[in-house]
Amino acid sequence: MKIGRSSFLCLVAGAALVSGCSSLGVKPWQRDVLAREEMRLDANPLDAAIDDHLYFSKEASSGGRSFAGGGCGCN
Amino acid sequence: MLDEALIVEARGEHLLAVKFAAMASPCEVLLPLMSRPAALAIGMVAAQEAWRVEKKYSRYRDDSVTAWIHDNRGTTIEVDQETASLLDFASQCFDLSGGLFDITSGVLRRAWTFDGSDRIPEAAAIEPLLRLVGFGKLQWHSPYLLLPAGMELDFGGIGKEYAVDRAYDLLAARDGNPFLVNFGGDLRANRAPAHGPWQIGIERPDTERDATMLLDLEHGALATSGDSRRYLLKNGIRYGHVLNPLTGWPVSRSPRSVTVAASSCTEAGLLATMALLQGDRAQAFLDEQGVRYWLLQ
Amino acid sequence: MQLRSKAPPAKAANTRRRLMAASCALLSAGAARSQEPSAAPAHSGLLEDWSVDSALAYYHENGRVTAIEPVVDVSKVFADGQSLNLNATFDALSGASPNGALPSHSPQTFTSPSGKAGHVYTIAPGQLPADPHYSDARFAFGGDWTKPLTRVDALSIGGKFSVEDDFVSVTVNASIAHDFNDKNTTLSFGLFNEFDSLHPVGDTPVPGSNFTSLVREGGKTKDGVGALLGITQVMTRNWLSEFNLSVDRFKGYMNDPYKITSIIDSAGNTTGYEFESRPDQRTRKSAYWENRVAWCSQVSTALSLRYMSDDWAVRSDTAQLHLRWSLSNRERYIEPTFRWYRQTAANFYTPFILDTAKQSTGFESADSRLSAFHALTYGVKYAQKLPGFGGRAESEFSVRAEYYQETFNEHVPVPAGLQGLDLYPSLKAILVQFGWRF
Repeated sequence: MKIGRSSFLCLVAGAALVSGCSSLGVKPWQRDVLAREEMRLDANPLDAAIDDHLYFSKEASSGGRSFAGGGCGCN
Repeated sequence: MLDEALIVEARGEHLLAVKFAAMASPCEVLLPLMSRPAALAIGMVAAQEAWRVEKKYSRYRDDSVTAWIHDNRGTTIEVDQETASLLDFASQCFDLSGGLFDITSGVLRRAWTFDGSDRIPEAAAIEPLLRLVGFGKLQWHSPYLLLPAGMELDFGGIGKEYAVDRAYDLLAARDGNPFLVNFGGDLRANRAPAHGPWQIGIERPDTERDATMLLDLEHGALATSGDSRRYLLKNGIRYGHVLNPLTGWPVSRSPRSVTVAASSCTEAGLLATMALLQGDRAQAFLDEQGVRYWLLQ
Repeated sequence: MQLRSKAPPAKAANTRRRLMAASCALLSAGAARSQEPSAAPAHSGLLEDWSVDSALAYYHENGRVTAIEPVVDVSKVFADGQSLNLNATFDALSGASPNGALPSHSPQTFTSPSGKAGHVYTIAPGQLPADPHYSDARFAFGGDWTKPLTRVDALSIGGKFSVEDDFVSVTVNASIAHDFNDKNTTLSFGLFNEFDSLHPVGDTPVPGSNFTSLVREGGKTKDGVGALLGITQVMTRNWLSEFNLSVDRFKGYMNDPYKITSIIDSAGNTTGYEFESRPDQRTRKSAYWENRVAWCSQVSTALSLRYMSDDWAVRSDTAQLHLRWSLSNRERYIEPTFRWYRQTAANFYTPFILDTAKQSTGFESADSRLSAFHALTYGVKYAQKLPGFGGRAESEFSVRAEYYQETFNEHVPVPAGLQGLDLYPSLKAILVQFGWRF
């Protein structure tokens, strides 16, 4: 199966969906679940950093969630 | 600063009220008609007990036991018998309420300012504070307490009702004359005066209908928990000041105020607070407890 | 007023009875006067206001590289909302690192640039050529500072510095974030600039030159700039979504100075090697989408998707799922994870060069990291909250294990002489990590 523009377009559509949602969201008193530790986007930063380092040294891609720089000589 | 002044004035045809200020609330002792010096003497006993409890446990004073506990975070300290009893009580309430009643939840107030504005904090402000909340995180083996760094104790949730009961005990030990002790709406009476039951007005703010609801009390205690004075208002939604210590957020869909009748003020106050913490289950909770209560939605 | 008491259910009556008993106990304790507060000195726990996150990771590839990596991260939030984060990483690698050459039916001998100059190693027939003397030690530290500018805007500035035997890297970054829609939406934009300088052991070979050539050049550098545009949106009470678009461009010396490509004849015999040669510029674009959903109070998931494409013709898709299952009233959790990754080969990737193609005129690299492959990761993490110590309220201990496997997609026709050789052996690796947060 070709990795093609279709994947990229899907993700762009996701962006449009997300950015077009000014009516989405919760009232301030409904943030209790979002306050849980596992709902933070940076819930386990050290795990993510160690994984990112591992994948940077083994694969051709990096970044996405954060900046794409490598910062080490392992690739 | 305590304004340590007592004022005696008539209340209706049959009663005298000895009024003073304590614990940031208007306080009074209601007595049947008697000489002013006799009323002042009785009122002074109640007032001095209220001021004593306030000085001892206020978090705003440098010389309180609460301040001393906070100065000694991270070390094991030996507390006095009264403080030990309060901590035992807080521990039992913590267990009974499934963690909803928690005297360590005061740190959450750093994220919330209930000034009627619309400033709602975000999750990132609350999450680090939540790590400092949890009665189970301090080590309490009477009379030894170890409060970890960063945590706070706040006796405000039980202080006023406890003061009412303490003042009540002191007055009841003097003689059998009827009296009613009322500290800012948390009250307790030993028996009804000769002319009839005590008539208690329960404030119902922000309603167009009855400004005050009257009810008759023979003896026992009433305590009220609610948000009428401290709240946030955002997009027309009113947000009460009672925070759920498990989430760091105000309890959702709770009644605006709950008044409970019980045999002691401490018990009534705990039931009212626990009901409020149940959110939309408040009424069901109070029904299960089999107590007299009044809700304001 | 209507009396509402009715016979309470047994459990509720128990609550009320216990509360009554508790109140009685409190009130009968008597009004003992408090002790005079003692002048006991206050004791503050280590790094009381800082939260510390630390981990020790152990990584091992089958027959190849082994690494140990301790990491420490400390952060503090100040009263005015500013926050500072500092981190330090050390990693030590050793083992056998593939040098890009192809397995052969005959033994192969190479001189190793790693470690002592002039070190020679021989690879048995059928084995993937890998330098067994490979070792490297790296130390890196970084920091980030965030400052709220207004109630809805924040500025972050950060930097990283990394140094190892033959490589130094310095990165600076800055980003701003803006909240709106009742803080349900956050828009952020960031830039980074990275400067890398390498001085390979044994000096830099001329790209594309023959492996036996002794011509060497001095140290090399490369420079990268990138931008990231992100939007975070609260979708519902239980669902948070993040979408990022990023682009970056690196220019300069893009080669791996230790990698070589086998030159083979039409019969499949290796006749020589040459150093790889990559373009001196690479531009990448990627889109990333992450969704965190709390399904119930015990179960939540984090699913992320990433698409990347660059001007070396590499395109990749990544999907990762974490599923967290909280137990014992959120005192502990277990979190299995699964990741799927697939990439296409760079347009100058070639596993070998046919000597009939004469001197290669263009770019070429046999680095398996630029080839077409797919990779799967299976992992699980367990974490447990522990009582505090030294005056802290609590701490968390965790252990994590992952299994990573790369499988290469062979699609280059090979000469008959190379049949029977496993030219692209799978990479299999495990990661074990212990973590401690307090």
